[in-house]
Amino acid sequence: MIPDHFLTLVLFSVLVALFFATLNHRDRRAFWKSFGKTTAWMVLGSLAFAFLMLWTAP
Amino acid sequence: MPKASAGWKAYAVSLATLAAPGLSHWLLGRRARAFAFFGIVAATFALGLLLHGALFPFQAPNWLYRLGAVAQVGLGLPYLLGRLLGWGQLGPEDAADLMFGYGNTFLVTAGLMNMLLVMDAFDIAVGRKD
Repeated sequence: MIPDHFLTLVLFSVLVALFFATLNHRDRRAFWKSFGKTTAWMVLGSLAFAFLMLWTAP
Repeated sequence: MPKASAGWKAYAVSLATLAAPGLSHWLLGRRARAFAFFGIVAATFALGLLLHGALFPFQAPNWLYRLGAVAQVGLGLPYLLGRLLGWGQLGPEDAADLMFGYGNTFLVTAGLMNMLLVMDAFDIAVGRKD
């Protein structure tokens, strides 16, 4: 099931971002801002880290 | 809106989340958030199992698995039910499964999320948080 690394990463990031946005924000605008920022950091940060690992591989 | 005092009621209400994710928030009158938390934690747990993650036993041979069990036990009743019903059994061929690591990440995260929900509910119960 879901044999796709990127889709799994996106799903995980969305769930974690939703959780923390719900936990920490009552205001709708702040909720979506937090959700977007967390998702973007997790997905783009992971891709950057993965690229770094690829780049530094022996 | 029911509000527990800082005594045993606050502990009892916050620990209700171990029976079902979000139950404490429901009991504290935060119905919308309770539904959201239930959906998020349940989805993370279900995806972890679907991705072939394991519900680690405390007597696992690897210390990393035992550490995972500490995080997963934060799920409370779903963890115990899963262990009793044999969901996410740890097998010898698991390490070769492409999705095993991802599944474990989802399951460990679900347990940690639920622990945070217990603490959040306690803060609400004692009036530290809205």
